[in-house]
Amino acid sequence: MTSPADSFVQEGQDILEGLEAILLELEAEPGSARSVDAVFRALHTLKGSGAMFGFEALARFTHHFENAYDRIREGKAEVTPELIQLSLASRDHIERMIAAGPGAEDDPASAALVGKIEKLAASGPALAADAAPCRTETRERYVIRLVPEALALRNGTRLDLLIEELAELGKAVVTCHDDKVPSLRELDPSVCYLWWTIELETTKGRDAIDEVFIFASDCEIDIELVAEEDTGGEDVPVPAAVKTSEKGDDGKVVMPKPDSVRVQSHRLDELMDQLGELVIAQARLNRISIEMGDTALAGAAEEIERLVTGLRDAILSIRMLPIEPVFTKFRRVVRDLSTELGKSVTLETRGGETEVDKNVIDSLTEPLVHIIRNSIDHGVELSAARAAAGKPEQARVMLHARQSGGEVLISISDDGAGLDPDAIRQRGIERGLIAADVEISEEQLFGLIFKPGFSTAKTLSSVSGRGVGMDAVRRVIEDLRGSVEVRSQKGAGTEVTLRLPLTLAIIDGLLVKVAGGPFVLPLSSVEECVELPRADDVRASGRSILRIRDELVPFLSLDTLFGFERAESEERRVVITSVDGRRTGLIVDEVIGQHQTVIKPLSLYHRGIEGLAGSTILGDGSVALILDAAAIVKRAQGAQRVAA
Amino acid sequence: MADIRGDIDTGEMALTFSLDGETFAIPVAHVNEIIDPLPVTRAPCADPFASGLVNVRGAIAPLVDLRQRLGMPPAVIAETSRVLVLDLMIAGETTKVAMLADDVDDITDTPMAEIEPVPELGVRWPVHLIRGVAKKNGALVIVLDVETTFAPSAPVHSKI
Repeated sequence: MTSPADSFVQEGQDILEGLEAILLELEAEPGSARSVDAVFRALHTLKGSGAMFGFEALARFTHHFENAYDRIREGKAEVTPELIQLSLASRDHIERMIAAGPGAEDDPASAALVGKIEKLAASGPALAADAAPCRTETRERYVIRLVPEALALRNGTRLDLLIEELAELGKAVVTCHDDKVPSLRELDPSVCYLWWTIELETTKGRDAIDEVFIFASDCEIDIELVAEEDTGGEDVPVPAAVKTSEKGDDGKVVMPKPDSVRVQSHRLDELMDQLGELVIAQARLNRISIEMGDTALAGAAEEIERLVTGLRDAILSIRMLPIEPVFTKFRRVVRDLSTELGKSVTLETRGGETEVDKNVIDSLTEPLVHIIRNSIDHGVELSAARAAAGKPEQARVMLHARQSGGEVLISISDDGAGLDPDAIRQRGIERGLIAADVEISEEQLFGLIFKPGFSTAKTLSSVSGRGVGMDAVRRVIEDLRGSVEVRSQKGAGTEVTLRLPLTLAIIDGLLVKVAGGPFVLPLSSVEECVELPRADDVRASGRSILRIRDELVPFLSLDTLFGFERAESEERRVVITSVDGRRTGLIVDEVIGQHQTVIKPLSLYHRGIEGLAGSTILGDGSVALILDAAAIVKRAQGAQRVAA
Repeated sequence: MADIRGDIDTGEMALTFSLDGETFAIPVAHVNEIIDPLPVTRAPCADPFASGLVNVRGAIAPLVDLRQRLGMPPAVIAETSRVLVLDLMIAGETTKVAMLADDVDDITDTPMAEIEPVPELGVRWPVHLIRGVAKKNGALVIVLDVETTFAPSAPVHSKI
């Protein structure tokens, strides 16, 4: 069970993410009343629920921040670049306060920011004093019935704070009703038996009242607007009252129905683990059914297989999230960096709707920040240099996500100066990463930037250039079973592409045998299987190219590659894989068939072996290794190049 | 190692097993279970010390071969052969490791209590793998240093 404070932390982070986006919009369009309202609302919610969950210091701080935006709403102040800067800083401060947890004390940074906010808000336009407030001042009288659910207190609803906040809106008369309290013998001290009516005279309007209750989801709330001249009794509204409560048939307030559910990710992980075990058990059942040859059992086993496949797809799709929110975070990163470095840069994003496994998304932010920092710091030139090169003054960084087969590709490209092969070569020699007299391809040269301790920047900036970034990027991506590629043209720009598996847990695989041992190739990288003509097999050592429908396809023998002895197999097969659009054949002894494969990570003993992506358990209980076709093909190409 | 006392000096229980006619001991706290030999899947291009993987009740564990590390001839699976399933801490990760033994002997508390330093001469095996020797019923028992004995050979393959 999550504590209420935990759910506030999550809620708060969501609000802050939204707030950042709105502030950036407001910066682009300072006159937008809609954005100002949105900022105000976000801050108000943060303040209210922060106080409710014990984040007192946060509530106090946000109060000042909110006031500044209230003044803007009222036309007493205006949106300036300084205000946006300060607002972003305040937003970050709130983030830190949320991270500090409930009950944290005010820290000195709060006071400093509050001072700046107030100074800025006070120095509004001169006309502020005589400008007419944009809201009409009507004094309204409401009767609010607040009936908490029995378990509201257990769930952490702070009724005292709710009522206090209501009272702040105007003149309030609070009546507490104890008619539902049972005799002492039956009383459960954790249940809330009390309910309240609050008569409130306010000029703030209905919206302000609704906002007080925005988080009070486990209370029945009934708000009625009572006419000014009404002199009616305590909680009996006069018949003439304008009834504005949104009551459902059951008498409960109809809260806007959320169309999504918040689930802790570890629960999803548990679900995934269980599913993995189910898939393995199902494979075992299938095997037993085949061995027994009982048609009734076979029917049931097939049915279960179909259901498990459906369940698998459903659960996997729950884990898939669009990458857009990650991209949105980078608008701020790019903005701050370009300001800091005095470069003018815009960020373009494409394919934000591309869905990626949640665990992949969670690990992506850090590497992407590194790459974007590198792009802006090292890649993008200063305006003068760009002008001299005939490029537009404003540089462009592009984030592009797309799905390709069983992989998601995320590329980060810039139109900056590009990588300088000579400088990299020079640096590589200095750092002892390559020998001075060895010619290596540009691709391999660019690969050097992922080596630990490599950095070509002549001066270290605060942003990047410590040479710890890119090797960390590669490590994170490889831990996700992905890979990183760099393409660059001197003077034209750089593109870094991250290839990531679509899912980390279960894949469709092709089960094959090599030298008697079972292996799984991800089906997403397999194009077709063909027979290996005996003549070609015998010749394999001499020439390893196969003609498939008028196309020449190079092939590799997996047993040779693995250092296994060759199995006595009469008819071997070639699995044609497609890596980067290039077809390569892999010779196997036998193709067994399609197999739903639960990926289990390898231990430290085997994790470093290139070409292995994980392991899995088959229906007969034996262990099969999952191959990474891309890595195998690339390694073989590398080996050939060295040999040549 | 801060807990060296807890590991050796106190009367902690040890499991003794034999390899190539010699008796070895490891702290019983690391031993999860003892099972019959399982079918092994060979890993390509793997370190010969951990050349395969086995399925231990739904968990995939690397199968390590101490004979290889101790410079003994390869094992032949016999009637008495057993697989020890160990829970080890390797480079900060809790790892389930399977290990083949010619025979599992006994669980005893003597070796750990009466451990003696490794004699300078007369040990055929790499000294860093051995924590000390003890006597049990007059026979020599070699107490292994779990940390060095089961460490993966090469930390991680380097790639270009």
